[in-house]
Amino acid sequence: MKSETHIEYGRLTRTAATGLLLLASLANPVGAQQRKFYDDDPIAREPSTRDASGAIHRDIDLMYDLGRNLFALQRDPKLVRAQNVNSVDEVPDSEWFTNRILARPVGIDEAVRGPDTGPGPAPGKLIVVHAKQSGVTPGFTVKDSAGQVWFVQFDAPGQPEAASGAAVVATKLFHAIGYFQSENHISYLDPSKLEVDKQAEVDTPSGRVRPMKMDDIRKVLDRAHKRPDGTCRMLASLAIPGRIIGGFKYYGTRKDDPNDIVPHEHRRELRALKVFGAWTNLVDMKALNTLDTVITENGRGVIRHYLQDVGSTFGTGALAPREWDEGYEYIVEGDKALKRLVTIDFYIQPWQTIPYKEYKSIGRFEGDYFKPEEWKSRIPAAAVLNARADDNFWAARRVMAFSDEMIRAIVKAGQYSDPAAGRHLADVLIKRRDKIGKSYLPAVNPLVDFRLDASGVLTFENAAVSAGFATAPRGGYEARWYRFDNSSGNATPIGSPVVSPALTIQAPAGLPAGDGEFIKVEVAAVGPPNSSWTTPVQVYFRRLPAGWKLVGLERMSD
Amino acid sequence: MERLKPRWVVLVLIWTLHTFLWAPGGSAQESRADSIGRQQDEKSKRLQPEVPDRVEQYITKVTKGGWIFSPNPNHLYPYFDSVYPGGGFTLGAGYREYYGDYAFAEARGLYSFQNYKKFELRTASPNHAGGHVDFEALAGWMDATEIPYYGLGIDSPKDGKSNFRLQETYVQAGATVRPVSWLYLRAGSGYDRFIQEAGTGGSPSIGDLYGPDTAPGLGVNPSYVHSVASAGIVWAPAEGYARRGGVYRYSIHDYRNVTGNLDSFQLTRGELVQHIPILRETWVLSLRGRMESVYGQNAEVPYFLLPWLGSGSTLRGYGTGRFRDRHSLLMTGEWRWIPNRFALDMALFCDAGTVAPRFKDLHFGDLKYDYGVGIRLHGPAVTALRFDVAHGSEGWHLVISASAPF
Repeated sequence: MKSETHIEYGRLTRTAATGLLLLASLANPVGAQQRKFYDDDPIAREPSTRDASGAIHRDIDLMYDLGRNLFALQRDPKLVRAQNVNSVDEVPDSEWFTNRILARPVGIDEAVRGPDTGPGPAPGKLIVVHAKQSGVTPGFTVKDSAGQVWFVQFDAPGQPEAASGAAVVATKLFHAIGYFQSENHISYLDPSKLEVDKQAEVDTPSGRVRPMKMDDIRKVLDRAHKRPDGTCRMLASLAIPGRIIGGFKYYGTRKDDPNDIVPHEHRRELRALKVFGAWTNLVDMKALNTLDTVITENGRGVIRHYLQDVGSTFGTGALAPREWDEGYEYIVEGDKALKRLVTIDFYIQPWQTIPYKEYKSIGRFEGDYFKPEEWKSRIPAAAVLNARADDNFWAARRVMAFSDEMIRAIVKAGQYSDPAAGRHLADVLIKRRDKIGKSYLPAVNPLVDFRLDASGVLTFENAAVSAGFATAPRGGYEARWYRFDNSSGNATPIGSPVVSPALTIQAPAGLPAGDGEFIKVEVAAVGPPNSSWTTPVQVYFRRLPAGWKLVGLERMSD
Repeated sequence: MERLKPRWVVLVLIWTLHTFLWAPGGSAQESRADSIGRQQDEKSKRLQPEVPDRVEQYITKVTKGGWIFSPNPNHLYPYFDSVYPGGGFTLGAGYREYYGDYAFAEARGLYSFQNYKKFELRTASPNHAGGHVDFEALAGWMDATEIPYYGLGIDSPKDGKSNFRLQETYVQAGATVRPVSWLYLRAGSGYDRFIQEAGTGGSPSIGDLYGPDTAPGLGVNPSYVHSVASAGIVWAPAEGYARRGGVYRYSIHDYRNVTGNLDSFQLTRGELVQHIPILRETWVLSLRGRMESVYGQNAEVPYFLLPWLGSGSTLRGYGTGRFRDRHSLLMTGEWRWIPNRFALDMALFCDAGTVAPRFKDLHFGDLKYDYGVGIRLHGPAVTALRFDVAHGSEGWHLVISASAPF
């Protein structure tokens, strides 16, 4: 009996093992994970499903951030695809980004309005409630006559309209692109209308915090540019909603944010700052110029990420025109330093000789020599280092979506008193926009806007050709059609490849007609002006009762 | 009753488990949003506080904790300065306590590898009158043990090198006014007492080679009421490091003799510095002219207070204090190039200078020259370390300094 029992247990063990394997095979979600597309693909919004209200405030040390980006972080050698794109290679809306220009029609009025919800500080007295906490520009925190709190900062002496104009114009550009921006207004301060709040305090070198006095205000204003009538032009920024918890890094994830699961260097909207940064000359790309804030959405705390300080753009810094090499070199480049050292600096670089038309309000900003691929921020932000051609393409299409009229209207919001200065800024932005389009649109297979109608006619656009930056391929386009098994990933050819001289291709006979069926189409250029166009764009459609729905697009391999 | 086969028991159990466990999970995997949610759920189980790692904590401590880079150190801090020209590398520390929002008192000390020493008690009360007026008072003691002395005049022989030890005790108080950001006016007064002793260096002590006729004031331990007035125009970004702009300074010192039976005298110093950027600061031509003169032709001025040239930031191809006399003229030109604009400058330089007993005897024909090359590690506003190798008529000379040459 015992022996039988023993045998039974032996059998039981073997049977259990077999069964567990079966259970594992049934329960293992590998099959589900291998499924290429889900029912809700492509998602339009990256969900934030967990509560992040426990995230704590954390200041990122400037020197540490600079040093890590300069010396410790490298481009991922695998050059992986951006990890937050949806199945059609687009960036879904998230707490990082909201699709605006290109994704939907954005009117000039909307672009000029940007993040603004009102006209700026209410007229009347301004009460200073706090000293400025960070940054080099003079400023403080005020409460207007309507009780609204504003962070104000002033243009530096000798640089009238520069910092304030750049911040307002750049804010509107980056908002239209899709980044979270604070609400910024240009306003004018009559110093006689300033008062100090009884609760206002200032930090002193001793470490003591004492009540603020008018003398402290005068010292700040001594460092501000004065207009002939004694007033000071100021940039008034509305407080960002939520609980501020510091900035974000251009690499890694926040350890205390459960929803932050994609390393920042692999977020497309951050990689794309290589292009947006080049367009606007956003050289001061660092954690200190970003802000994370905890807001409540659907009863949950979620962290929203702001590109907070985009004022270091165009040709001006906070206190002076851009250094000559900014936009061209990182602050530390060992090989260039060595060449300069041994050649007594006869290693001449373009920034040392290219001509600039300088305006005090704009600084050093030009579009004639500008080469988008060679543009550099002061430090190599890790996300930017990881930008691939498809990331740049995605960004360049958005830059190209800004019309001349829209750019000029946004620049007008910078309220430059010299019309020539405003014209110059807009002209340069237009030139740089076109150079970005010319550089990045043809660099990958630029086919976009795929549609497949019920009759099997595939239509698409060529973004580079449409923008006039490339000629159409001599041989047209070739499409290879496949029945696609979403579970296994297997693709079975349907018919023979079809070549069309136009942006319309008729599918071969035999497309599946069943609801939920998938097909894959590979579309490449034949005889293109750029060899990269022969790499096919892979698009996937799913059959729905209403017709074919685009559910997948891969411009480059993973 | 027939016994149930274990195989069936297990399979039924598995199917039940599968139905119970997997089916809801399977439906949960139907969407991309759920897949992302699952990853977020996974992360939510291993959340950690977002705190700096050790390296960042250390960097923050160094940069913001009132230590190396702080313009307003508090409590204990490292102190970098020179005890006396030629004294070599120093180690130093200070301790500061604030007794007002801006006003502080501090004690600080330096010790050099050549046994030079300095200790000071200092108080400053800056930021008065809307930040335009600063007050400062200082008391200190300095001991320089082997200061070179070669005799007077531009023709003093190199092999006439001797050395002396000088101890100075001083008390000073003064005020600086900045009516506008680019102009300062400074005035102060105090008491200086000097004690001479035999030098401790390798060369003969001064008394072995020189007497009061060739080393005025030798053997006397004078004290003075020392008053100074100075003015400066600074339109360079910073005095400690600049690639453009200029600095123009003038000061007059009045030494009223109190003890030691020496004369009272005045000493003036004028200096013009101009940085001329070339090709967008690819190169910088930096020029400096400096003149020091003793007023009062017959006044007896102790040799250690006379204008001098040699090493440091003067005639860099010559030894410290190589040439001394009542008047000095110094001209320097540097052709600087900038391998890295945040940290590294190089320079080819040439110095020319002379000393003379009378102002009218300052002749260009008597100029001593040197030339050399320098490496400077700097920040945006300060020169942290400077290595200059210079060649003069007496050979090569290395200068290591923690300040800009001018």
